[in-house]
Amino acid sequence: MRQAGMYSGILAGGRTGPHSFPLARIKKIMKKSGGNVNMISGEAPIVFSKACELLIEELTRRSWMVAMQRKRRTLHKEDVVSAVIATDIFDFLVNLVSDSTTPLDLTPVEREKLEF
Amino acid sequence: MAEAPTSPAGGSHESGGDQSPRSAGVREQDRYLPIANISRIMKKALPANGKIAKDAKDTMQECVSEFISFITSEASDKCQKEKRKTINGDDLLWAMATLGFEDYIEPLKVYLARYRELEGDSKGSARGGDASVKRDVVGGLAAQNPQFAHQGSLSYINSQFADAEG
Repeated sequence: MRQAGMYSGILAGGRTGPHSFPLARIKKIMKKSGGNVNMISGEAPIVFSKACELLIEELTRRSWMVAMQRKRRTLHKEDVVSAVIATDIFDFLVNLVSDSTTPLDLTPVEREKLEF
Repeated sequence: MAEAPTSPAGGSHESGGDQSPRSAGVREQDRYLPIANISRIMKKALPANGKIAKDAKDTMQECVSEFISFITSEASDKCQKEKRKTINGDDLLWAMATLGFEDYIEPLKVYLARYRELEGDSKGSARGGDASVKRDVVGGLAAQNPQFAHQGSLSYINSQFADAEG
């Protein structure tokens, strides 16, 4: 079993675990990703742990720009949805986030101001 | 255990259940990463006066699982074509680059190299060894020593340490 203390302060900035997310959980989500995910190398969940962190940071920053545009200082779902729709690499998330209620796309004016 | 302490309570939220076709019979904690961890990273990305509504966290949580599935599927297809059974880290990097996330590759390589370095070293010696590498020496060593050349991309981390230690 991995000792948490060994990495803390190096990779994780003082938190208890070495990675941002529980690796076993990442592995479970990977296994459900399609029919033929047989085996997963030990490094794969570690790559995802960091990759998810990068994704969250990027999407949060873009969502924040939308919230600011809307004169708010609290991030809401509709800001995240708008950021997803306005960003090409997040196209794969559009169906997931937009099947529910509220405002979706930015107005052309909003989009221009954001300059994603 | 390696599980984060926040895990058990992490996924409880009302909007999670019914939107995904995969949801039937699958426990919440198997489908999502802990919301406390996600929330912590979101907060770090915002200015100090920024707040985050719960529905934004829930949405982010769903997006993260979708991201993992999206990348894994692409990597898995590649493995199948090449008749390999194990998805490895490089397959994921390839999939991310293919699907538009090439900006993530470099930081991920750095992270992975750092991890390999720590994992490869015998326990205990890793930290002491790194801390003793002084910022001004790294460049010179890289020129002479292949081991340090391999670590060249990591030198900024060492710089941060040197700074922190004053």
